[in-house]
Amino acid sequence: MSAAARPQLRPPSPAADRGAPSLPPRPSRTGPTVAAVIAGVIVVLATIELDISWTSLGEIPGRVANYLVLLFAEPNWEKLPRALFETWRSVSMAWLGAIGCVALSIPLGILAARGVGPAWVRLPLRWLFAIIRAVPEVVIALVLLTVTGLTPFTGALALGIAGIGTQGKWVYETVESVQEGASEAVRAAGGSTAEVARWALWPAAAPSLMSFALYRFEINIRTSAVLGLIGAGGIGTMLSNYTNYREWDTVGMLLIVVVVITMLIDLISGSIRRRIMEGARPRVVDRTR
Amino acid sequence: MSTHAQASATLPRRPTHRVRTALILAALIAFSVATCLPAIGGVEIDLESITRNWRNGASKLQQLAQPNLAFLPRTLGPMLETLAMAVVGAVTAALVSIPVTLWAARPSNPHTVTRQLVRFVVNIVRSVPDLVYATILVAMIGVGTLPGVVTLILFDIGVVIKLVSEAIDSTDHPYLEAGRAAGGTQLQINRRTVLPQSWPLLTNQWLYSLELNVRISAILGIVGAGGIGRLLDERRAFYAYEDVSLIILEILIVVVLIELLSTTLRKRLR
Repeated sequence: MSAAARPQLRPPSPAADRGAPSLPPRPSRTGPTVAAVIAGVIVVLATIELDISWTSLGEIPGRVANYLVLLFAEPNWEKLPRALFETWRSVSMAWLGAIGCVALSIPLGILAARGVGPAWVRLPLRWLFAIIRAVPEVVIALVLLTVTGLTPFTGALALGIAGIGTQGKWVYETVESVQEGASEAVRAAGGSTAEVARWALWPAAAPSLMSFALYRFEINIRTSAVLGLIGAGGIGTMLSNYTNYREWDTVGMLLIVVVVITMLIDLISGSIRRRIMEGARPRVVDRTR
Repeated sequence: MSTHAQASATLPRRPTHRVRTALILAALIAFSVATCLPAIGGVEIDLESITRNWRNGASKLQQLAQPNLAFLPRTLGPMLETLAMAVVGAVTAALVSIPVTLWAARPSNPHTVTRQLVRFVVNIVRSVPDLVYATILVAMIGVGTLPGVVTLILFDIGVVIKLVSEAIDSTDHPYLEAGRAAGGTQLQINRRTVLPQSWPLLTNQWLYSLELNVRISAILGIVGAGGIGRLLDERRAFYAYEDVSLIILEILIVVVLIELLSTTLRKRLR
């Protein structure tokens, strides 16, 4: 973009010497215009399809403001202990789900990386990751609850399985981005695939993989609340129940708890991830003494 | 070789972090154990139920493996609704995100107080999960597509503003300085230098949010916020797993198609 904006220095050509320099023709704008029109038509059609009653749309902000007052004017702090208990259940689901997901996706992801596993292992694994990525967690939970019932354990299992799709992809992309020198050296010294993975790929990829593992935990914190909404237990279930009872002051308190806990965990996990990726800050040595 | 040379050739001791590693491991194990204690709210790991009931799951998977294609015509309407929700949500969020992103980035908003305020609000918006918004909005404004669209807008705004404003922060801004040197006001500088530079970043994120929207709007219906999720939940309640399977398959195909479309478009942008 910046190169195009800058005037280009052209070598003097005979044509330029003879007369006024002729400008190159303006690039055609037909393509972008057509694309913009198509996009516009799609948006208009989509808006019509939604069939929202536009007359009542004006009342919505007032009603939402009304509800916001109900939610947050006087949050019901009496149920806070119960909310914290349920929060710990959600955090537990997220943590166990993250452990399961990472424990499965690291070996599978390394096998799926180019240069590690053979093609007949690599391609099916990549397909598996792609399929899991496309299935929503809630759907996985709906299948699992026929086995383990509507319990937090189901939530943890669903998180563990649903995460493999994305996590596995991150793992093989990370492993593929590792420089080839080390694995070549291990192979030249007679190392097997397992030894290449342990001594060449793992040391180089481990910090990123650890960081991704923590990131999975952060994602799971949000998703575990969603699984709670369909009944897997935890803060989501409590929130869904009190919304159904229309106990707005309790719902407001629960929302505050969700926001504070999520932000807190993001903050802690984010700083640990930064420490893993960037290393410790150099210690300041006081040389004046 | 003399002994003196040998002594100087000994390597320094390898630094060990045994205590630190042990502490970190202990902390991780303690945390993991605490998450497994049902008494304080942890998860009760019930492996026995898997050995007891795995046949249920297997038969469900078997039913899911036989999609009922005759159900296809009834799914098309809700699927179209889902896509429409995704598009309208993404476009509205895109329009809102332009000014707010510039507001949340350092080069385009040197004012620390307002910038931090906007970022704080965006962080709060981001930390509420999508389906939680949907549940509460359905209770507020009633069942239908509108709460779904509002959920998608809130979700997209959080993603786009956070990622793009951080990307703007981390890039170099020689143009900005030129604008300031030429005596431009902050508004003129944003309009002429920051905004044109941010278009690729913004469009990239908009397409990504459209992609995410299709995924999310497919399940929003489960809490009553419109789209194909409502049909999915309805068929599941009737134990019509062949129909559920068809719907899941359809969601899969649409998600993959949208992903392909957005990937090709994003590649062309670069």
